[in-house]
Amino acid sequence: MEMNDPLRREEKKESTPDRKDSGPSKPDVNRPGRDDLLKRMKKVDPKQSEKYKQRTGQ
Amino acid sequence: MNAIVPLLGIETEYGIVREDQAESDPVEESMRLLARCEVKSVFKAWAYNRERTHLDMRGFQVSRLAQDEEEDEFCEKDRERPYSYWEMKSDRVLTNGARFYNDHTHPEYATPECRTVFDLVAHDLAGEAIVGECVRLRNQDLGGDCLQLFKNNTDYSGHSYGTHDNYLIPRKLPFDVWVRHLVPFLVTRQLYAGAGKVGAERKNEDGFTGLQLAQRADFIDSVLSIETMTQRPIINTRDEPHATQDYRRLHLILGDANMSPYATALKVGTTRLVLTLIGAQKLDAPFELADPVADVQRVSRDTTGKVPLKLLSGKTVTPLEIQEWYLEQALKHTRLSGDTEEWDWVTREWGRTLDDMKHHPENLADRIDWAIKQSLFSDFMAAEKLQWEDPILQSLDLEYHNLNPERGLYYSLRNEGSVVGLIEQNKIDDAVHRAPQDTRARIRGQAVEQERDHIKNIHWTGIEFNNGEYLDLSGLITKKDVVQVLDSNKEQFAWK
Repeated sequence: MEMNDPLRREEKKESTPDRKDSGPSKPDVNRPGRDDLLKRMKKVDPKQSEKYKQRTGQ
Repeated sequence: MNAIVPLLGIETEYGIVREDQAESDPVEESMRLLARCEVKSVFKAWAYNRERTHLDMRGFQVSRLAQDEEEDEFCEKDRERPYSYWEMKSDRVLTNGARFYNDHTHPEYATPECRTVFDLVAHDLAGEAIVGECVRLRNQDLGGDCLQLFKNNTDYSGHSYGTHDNYLIPRKLPFDVWVRHLVPFLVTRQLYAGAGKVGAERKNEDGFTGLQLAQRADFIDSVLSIETMTQRPIINTRDEPHATQDYRRLHLILGDANMSPYATALKVGTTRLVLTLIGAQKLDAPFELADPVADVQRVSRDTTGKVPLKLLSGKTVTPLEIQEWYLEQALKHTRLSGDTEEWDWVTREWGRTLDDMKHHPENLADRIDWAIKQSLFSDFMAAEKLQWEDPILQSLDLEYHNLNPERGLYYSLRNEGSVVGLIEQNKIDDAVHRAPQDTRARIRGQAVEQERDHIKNIHWTGIEFNNGEYLDLSGLITKKDVVQVLDSNKEQFAWK
């Protein structure tokens, strides 16, 4: 498998840390998708983690 | 290629639960899950007689590996089940060279040996896809989304299961040299490798609430240990190279399961880079932490990276300063590995991530798991006027790791383009079926593809065929080694 694709994608985003266009952009929390996700999160069972019992692994 | 750290691999144990049952049985469910794997594979033929799990890097052998009393009781009951050991393990070796099986009741995907960090990340994601497809098929049988699997490391009640990163390193350098140089790095790499966890579950808890950097930090109890289920160490000392005695396999069990492929790449990439510096004896004398085990938890409970850690000298240092020191060491020895593209990516992104953590931590929320959670959950808490202590936060934390594409919160963020993908989908699709072509996994995968019905047993180190022939893979480290075997055995093995 070639590894150049992820590198090329990152190279497009490369810049110095001080520049505003540095790297992948941070999430846009104002986008509609985020609002939909927050609504969906409200429907998660608050007891889900309490019910989630596992056995010890490695 | 990197001659000092030539091969990499990741093992991931998944959490499993039936939501339609009050008492989910992980043994039954894990077996049923493995039975639904439709990827071509060799089934129930793992060569357990080739495993050597009791040898310790420090030069001794233990008689048994420990587990806690609760797990002892579970195992006692498991022995009464109407299944053989082989049935419960349900081992599969796939055409991509990976191993998919049940380990201590958790479905586990162990990637094939990879040469590059990006191949490894693609194969880690391929494992996620394979496991996810098994869940879909199993739920199809059940008539609804009854079964859920999670790529995480805790049940929030004190039970942990692992994500282990593995590195082949030369044996000639004494083990204590590796340990001394590596410990401060490992204690602090959770700054970017931590998957984030809401709450704490350490015995004698300190009352911590909120978001930790890492899921696994609460479960680290020693610097060195061969154990994996109790007294978990910063560096595991199991001496099982799965290769010739010229090598060690560094088996790190302190890490988290990352949903973000960028975080996986940075975790493995920086670790490989530090190991390369140590192996080349280019690393200066590192910091000496006074209490590295306590520091694992101390670092995890501070999302600024600035908590002071005591040194043996009496001075203090912050986790960020430790990571910056290792990065500076790497930049002094540019491209030591021979793999310049990977080296450059790792040093560049390592620097950018540490800089963001120091000056613009909000920028981490597109690629570092704990920071993604911090951003998402903070939005949710603000919208719903909740605090970290609200029980729904732990449930949301769990749901972040759900492999169900309709429910998993990380998957939702990925689909809306809010997080860095890093690996293209066609690379992941390819890795589901095809092994890395430059490691011995290629031979293992081709054997499964072409000779599945003629394999008597199979292991990382070799394949035994029904006709008595044995193909020893233990000495195949470089791409040249692999090509040489393929070229020299054309008549013996038809698939080539």
